[in-house]
Amino acid sequence: MKTIKMSIPVLLILFSIIFLIASFNLPKANLGNPNAPMYFPAGLSIIMLIFSVIYFFQELKNIHKENQYIRQILSGRTPKLIGFTLLFGAVYAFIFNPLGFLLSTIIYLGALLFYINGSNKWLVNIIVTISFSFISWYAFSELLGVSLP
Amino acid sequence: MDVSSFMDGLSIALEPVNIMWIVIGGFLGTVVGMLPGLGPATAVAVLIPITFSMNPVSAIILMAAIYYGAMYGGSRSSILLNTPGDGSAIAATFDGYPMAQKGQAGPALAISAVASFIGGIIAVIGFVFLAVPLANFALKFGPAEYFLLMLLTLSAIVALSIGKMVKGFLAMMIGLALATVGIDTQTGVYRFTMGLPHFSDGIDFLIVIIGVYAIGEVLYNFLNIDQQKKEKKKVGKVWFTKDQWKRSKWPILRSGPIGFLIGVLPGAGGTIASMIGYTTQKQISKNPEEYGKGAVEGLAAPESSNNAASVGAMIPLLTMGIPGSGTTAVMLGALIMLGLRPGPLLFEQQPDTVWALINSMFIGNIALVIINILLVGVLVKILDTPAKVLYPIIVLLAFIGTYTLSYSTIDFFLLLVFGIFGLFLKVLDFPIAPLVLALIVGAEMEQNFRMAVLSSNGSLGIFFSSGVSITLLVLTILSLFYPLIIKLVKKRNDLEEDQMSKSS
Repeated sequence: MKTIKMSIPVLLILFSIIFLIASFNLPKANLGNPNAPMYFPAGLSIIMLIFSVIYFFQELKNIHKENQYIRQILSGRTPKLIGFTLLFGAVYAFIFNPLGFLLSTIIYLGALLFYINGSNKWLVNIIVTISFSFISWYAFSELLGVSLP
Repeated sequence: MDVSSFMDGLSIALEPVNIMWIVIGGFLGTVVGMLPGLGPATAVAVLIPITFSMNPVSAIILMAAIYYGAMYGGSRSSILLNTPGDGSAIAATFDGYPMAQKGQAGPALAISAVASFIGGIIAVIGFVFLAVPLANFALKFGPAEYFLLMLLTLSAIVALSIGKMVKGFLAMMIGLALATVGIDTQTGVYRFTMGLPHFSDGIDFLIVIIGVYAIGEVLYNFLNIDQQKKEKKKVGKVWFTKDQWKRSKWPILRSGPIGFLIGVLPGAGGTIASMIGYTTQKQISKNPEEYGKGAVEGLAAPESSNNAASVGAMIPLLTMGIPGSGTTAVMLGALIMLGLRPGPLLFEQQPDTVWALINSMFIGNIALVIINILLVGVLVKILDTPAKVLYPIIVLLAFIGTYTLSYSTIDFFLLLVFGIFGLFLKVLDFPIAPLVLALIVGAEMEQNFRMAVLSSNGSLGIFFSSGVSITLLVLTILSLFYPLIIKLVKKRNDLEEDQMSKSS
């Protein structure tokens, strides 16, 4: 828990430093002041660095304070729920164009519902998957004129 | 007030197609706003794609209807389940839920709907009189004033995240950093695109918004999805007694204008408006001990106030192009996508659009009070729908919405990245509104800053050169010290209370 708590400010400090270096390495402008594109992000990264360091010390002061949400995110079936939702989303991105909207959506929504709602509620899952996939296809493609694959 | 523009706007708002969108938007907003954990910003973010094929006037009318629909909806779950749809509905749990527990769910729902309606109407009237003078005033703003106004808005929204200001600032910085990605419009230099052509136009803020609000919220709700218990509520007759009305009418009429003014202020929003509405009412009440135990006034006041704030928040958005809250920031993003540029010129160039919107808010509030009272049975049934079925549907809507932005599935990955980012922001208790606001106004803030400096040959003195800019600077500094002042006042009050209890 302590490692997770402290890693966030450290990550922010690292991000600010990388952002600062990247700002200084921005290409020079051919028009006007050559450094003009750099000033805003560089100033921003310096302020961000200062706040990240303050945040680091704030967290250090409260290192023993429990964050119940971090505990919850790591316990029970929560990590799996989050992981699979993201994984199914990534798979959806890959199958969306090759399989077309309707088929890929039926697979994606069906998989999500069976995983989240449980396979014992299979009838509800199937009805919701099929009806919602068709409704969304009809609403977006036919009524709203969105070009879907 | 320009009467002919007002009448033109009224006739546009009364077109059957726009009335249809007001009703659909109000209903959809109510439904999404009602779902525990999902508030108006999520409602607008998820439903943005519906507006893309529409003409801009109908789109803005629909979005506004979704917005205040969600404000109505947020309190349904507060009253019935003690789980507010979002921050602005928290105050409705204080007395709304105890009323429902005492078997007065019906009257509580009716009072909340009527209070929201009256609050909304008071605010729309305020809007009619305040918007044009403010737009005219904003016309005098140059780049320096605009930069300072954006700075004030951002500082105010950060300062209001009391107790987590450092996190608020960091969220704001991250938003501003994300806004720097893409081609610099003044010099044509590619910044932080990592060589990916997809980022040349920057990171689409709507993807960030949908990711953080829709996917992030759903992932966050997974934390206790298995603990969510169903609570069946008997609603009964959705109306109130004469006595309940007598007790509520003044709190409603008092809290409406308060909420409206708070909504107009940058950074403040429905949450603060409803809290102030509630505490003010409690302070002036003759029976403050009844509050929190089901006092009808304690429900009426915040409900009137938060809905008035939602209308008030549209004023800085439309007159100056500066969103004052997370939800209006989402709306600004969608409006820019539709080619509408909110700001003082909108009132000059497209008065029909603005007045159609204002009139649609009158009609929308009427439609919503009818929806919320007549369709209460349907709404309660929707509230019964298991979250485990609703969340996958919301995730899917987020994907479809993202696809309609650029017709590219690459953005699906970005959506997931920002979804997980949103989850961590919530888990680590970072306020999200400063990030979203900074992301949306960031690019323009930088451009205004550079234009101001350029026009003064590199001198920063331009930011102190006019009365308006000095006022804005002073307000920014004051807003940053606001939490400190609150802390000192609280400390002094506690000390006084301590001394009083010791002496007694």
